[in-house]
Amino acid sequence: MSRLEERYRRVLRLLPAGYRRQWEDDMVAAFLETMQTGDAETDEYLADHGRPSLAEVTSVLSLAARLRIGGPDAPPRPYAWGQAVRLAVLAGVLTQAVMATAGLGITLWLSGALSWLPAPTSEWTLVPPSSSWQATLTVAGYAWLPAFLALVLGHRRVAQAVAAIAVVPQGIAVAVEQVTGPVPLTVAPWAMLLVELLLVVAMSAFHRDAAAVARRPWLLALPVGILAVPVPLFVAQATTSALRLLDWPGLCCALVVAAMTVHLVVRAFRPPARTLPWSLALVLLATTALALRTATLPDIGGQVERTALLTVASVQIVAVLAVGVPLAVVAFRALRHLPPVSAAVEPQHTDP
Amino acid sequence: MTEPTFFVLTALLDGPRHGYGIVAEVADLSQGRVRLKIGSLYGALDRLVGGGLIELDREEAWQGRLRRYYRLTERGRHALDAEARRLAANARLASTRLRRQSPIEGTSA
Repeated sequence: MSRLEERYRRVLRLLPAGYRRQWEDDMVAAFLETMQTGDAETDEYLADHGRPSLAEVTSVLSLAARLRIGGPDAPPRPYAWGQAVRLAVLAGVLTQAVMATAGLGITLWLSGALSWLPAPTSEWTLVPPSSSWQATLTVAGYAWLPAFLALVLGHRRVAQAVAAIAVVPQGIAVAVEQVTGPVPLTVAPWAMLLVELLLVVAMSAFHRDAAAVARRPWLLALPVGILAVPVPLFVAQATTSALRLLDWPGLCCALVVAAMTVHLVVRAFRPPARTLPWSLALVLLATTALALRTATLPDIGGQVERTALLTVASVQIVAVLAVGVPLAVVAFRALRHLPPVSAAVEPQHTDP
Repeated sequence: MTEPTFFVLTALLDGPRHGYGIVAEVADLSQGRVRLKIGSLYGALDRLVGGGLIELDREEAWQGRLRRYYRLTERGRHALDAEARRLAANARLASTRLRRQSPIEGTSA
């Protein structure tokens, strides 16, 4: 086996085992033929030193994503994972859109642009952005709203491009602010950025084979989400000082714990196969919230109220684990009960 | 039907072909515009076999490897015919409107 073949077979390991059993040798043979130039010396050199091009690797990556994160035609397990990833991404993008829209609404209200609403009291004033980078970060964040709408309406590539508008300037703003700003380096902005990047990449789960998003409930979730979370939270944080201890990773933990609790109650009355995608989606979201909370713990050490903040963070971690672990156990048990995976349809000889 | 799938089916119209044979034929048919990557080709072949539009014709040994040849099924031929008609109708529609809107070169305005 040449080094080139070894390298290509290594790339093919991205594909599910069942699929590889059917197609790997055929794919390798076709790939090696595409690499032949007709010149014996060059072919020999390529066999030793050649590598699959980025485009070839990307095509295998995209095939692996389609097979592992399946649509309705995929076997039950990849389909359950596919639905779970899509639900988790929708929930993540919805959260970004809700917070961005509410933030925009509150900014407009504080600046007096929403004259039909009661005027804010004197203690609620608009804090201007500390730097032009901070302003860029805020404005770029608003792009999550059109990104969410595009995703729900079935325009995945548009959603990814628009979300990139939110993420890329934010990445630059975070880097510049952390390097040149007066505040010490913190983990939180980087961790948030990583989560947002993950969301943009994971939007690829809405591929051609995936079923269309149920528009009505997800579109309805936007105003409901705004009224249910950021608006009361803003009012509560403005009036109750204890709630100021709730930071963004903490809020993610609180939201995911609430969602998992409701889900555990609901799934008790429904067949497990029907609730499985949401169970897995919530496990994915809980893992992300837990990682975000844990990664940002070092930031708390430098704060004045660190004892109170560390206590709150510990409670959040315990709460996510207390609800998330039982949910993960029942979800994976239900996943194992699904019929075995048969990732590919074997090509059959049909006699003429 | 995506453009690569359309070209894969078209490439199999005049006889069975193996993986690389399809890649080369599609590149020829599209005058180099569609260059199928192996991951994309086998993604399409997997779907087409699953949908019964193509099937395995035979396996042949070549330079110590097994080449699998695929052929178009009757169902695949019908699907390709329907897609070709749809594309031709769309093209006719656009051409008719284009002719109606812009004066033919050489005639007075």
